[in-house]
Amino acid sequence: MRALRADSASQIVHALRAWPSIQQVAFSGMVAYRAEMVIWVLSATLPLVMLSLWNSAAAAGPVGGYGQVDFARYFAVNLVVRQLTGSWIVWELNWNIRKGELSPRLLRPMHPLVYNLCETFAALPFRAGILVPLVGVLALWRPELLFVPSFSAAVGFGVALLLAFVLAWTIQAIFGMLAFWFDQSMGFWSAWFALWAMASGYFVPLDLFPEGWVDFFRLLPFYSTLGAPIDVLLGKASMLSVFTGQVAWVVATGALAAWMWKAGIRRYGAVGA
Amino acid sequence: MSRELGAFRLEVVGALVRVSLLSAMQYRASFFAEFMVGALSAFGVAVPLLLVYARVPVIEGWNFDGALLVTGFFLLYNAFVAGLVEPNLGAVVDGVRTGELDYLLVRPVDAQLLISLRKVAPAAVWELVAGVAVVVVALARLGVPDWGTMALAAGLFVAGLAATYGLWLLVICTSFWFVRVDNLRFLLTAITDAGRWPVSVYGRGLRLLLTTLIPVALVSSFPAMALLGTLEEGHVATALGAAAGMLVLSRWVLRRALRNYASASS
Repeated sequence: MRALRADSASQIVHALRAWPSIQQVAFSGMVAYRAEMVIWVLSATLPLVMLSLWNSAAAAGPVGGYGQVDFARYFAVNLVVRQLTGSWIVWELNWNIRKGELSPRLLRPMHPLVYNLCETFAALPFRAGILVPLVGVLALWRPELLFVPSFSAAVGFGVALLLAFVLAWTIQAIFGMLAFWFDQSMGFWSAWFALWAMASGYFVPLDLFPEGWVDFFRLLPFYSTLGAPIDVLLGKASMLSVFTGQVAWVVATGALAAWMWKAGIRRYGAVGA
Repeated sequence: MSRELGAFRLEVVGALVRVSLLSAMQYRASFFAEFMVGALSAFGVAVPLLLVYARVPVIEGWNFDGALLVTGFFLLYNAFVAGLVEPNLGAVVDGVRTGELDYLLVRPVDAQLLISLRKVAPAAVWELVAGVAVVVVALARLGVPDWGTMALAAGLFVAGLAATYGLWLLVICTSFWFVRVDNLRFLLTAITDAGRWPVSVYGRGLRLLLTTLIPVALVSSFPAMALLGTLEEGHVATALGAAAGMLVLSRWVLRRALRNYASASS
């Protein structure tokens, strides 16, 4: 047990020391494939399609407490949160495990998952840059959506966003690691994503679901990865309950991911490695 | 050039479909696992509609049943793309990069036919089932129209499929020049997602885009309008024009692309 703790401590030190180089490598990669990156990022515009429906529905008056401006604001923040909490680890793990490309990564002096986390972090400035034109177009279309949040809402949003990022990444890693047991785990991920899109607030603000459903949905991990930060920024949920839920899910999924890695890496090697 | 345009035979189509079905069905477990995904994504398309129409009875002239029809046709379109268009045309992009396309081009069969019908993703069948179910439910609530109306709707749907297939082929053809365009597929999927709602919820500019350049409204909204009897003058002509235009243009571009194609190994 002590050995394990010492091990993870040295991992963190490693990660911090290697961090600037990884950041640089990852960012150069982004810039080299900038056209691809732009396309990837533009592909996440489904919130705008959802917005058009709700915008038309609210043309005659507010729907469930949301007017046209509220919807525009909700889906603009939705776009931002989705973009800043995105990662590709489920695809990468799937591919690397199946093709045996995980092996060289295991030889590096850094845990492959930690390495990926650093890479994902490094992509953030790029993703943020892509958001500017998207949100800019939305703001041109409906300038009223721009607002200045209170200081506490802004800080709370930052915290909720960070927790959402970690949780979303961990969940993707879990589904990616399923490839240790099933050679192809993308089917599971698609099913998860379909559930997530409904229950996270991606398609619809959760408070538009019938009474009772909302409270239930807010307990699920889906909400903690997307709806939670949106609701904190827009002042629609109490920060304390949001953070509690997020932290609980981060701990639970983190433990599961750690266990899966240990068990999975023992199985790994069967796949042509 | 005979290299790119060989014989176009019906028995070739039959054999292609049979072989691709057989090769895809070998993963039986994953095929049935995909059933969940199909059911869930159908549900996902319907849930926002259920929620919005629980509060607002009519949106931009569309009631719930009409919008449900659009959704049904959108699911059918998705099944067509996921089951047939994406697996095949996606493979072309990879084939250009790896040079494997050469093996297809040397066969004495029409190249477009071969690259369009080589693979089937049978999991899309669940989306097909979901789409049929949604259309049937909507029609049952609306009252079944006469045969002529249904034939018109079916014809418009097929025209829409032809137009969207042409668009996909056009996008894929760019890989002959730019090699790395895998991600354009995702962009196309994202944009055509707009077809899930009746086209009138979009602003005028987007509406024009969705009926011409990215003709996804033709495949979802137009057939629904035919069944509801709300088609306007010129809609049929637009659909047929877009279908014919896209098909001719994409075939022409493909022929030029093949003529330019130098193969990865040369």
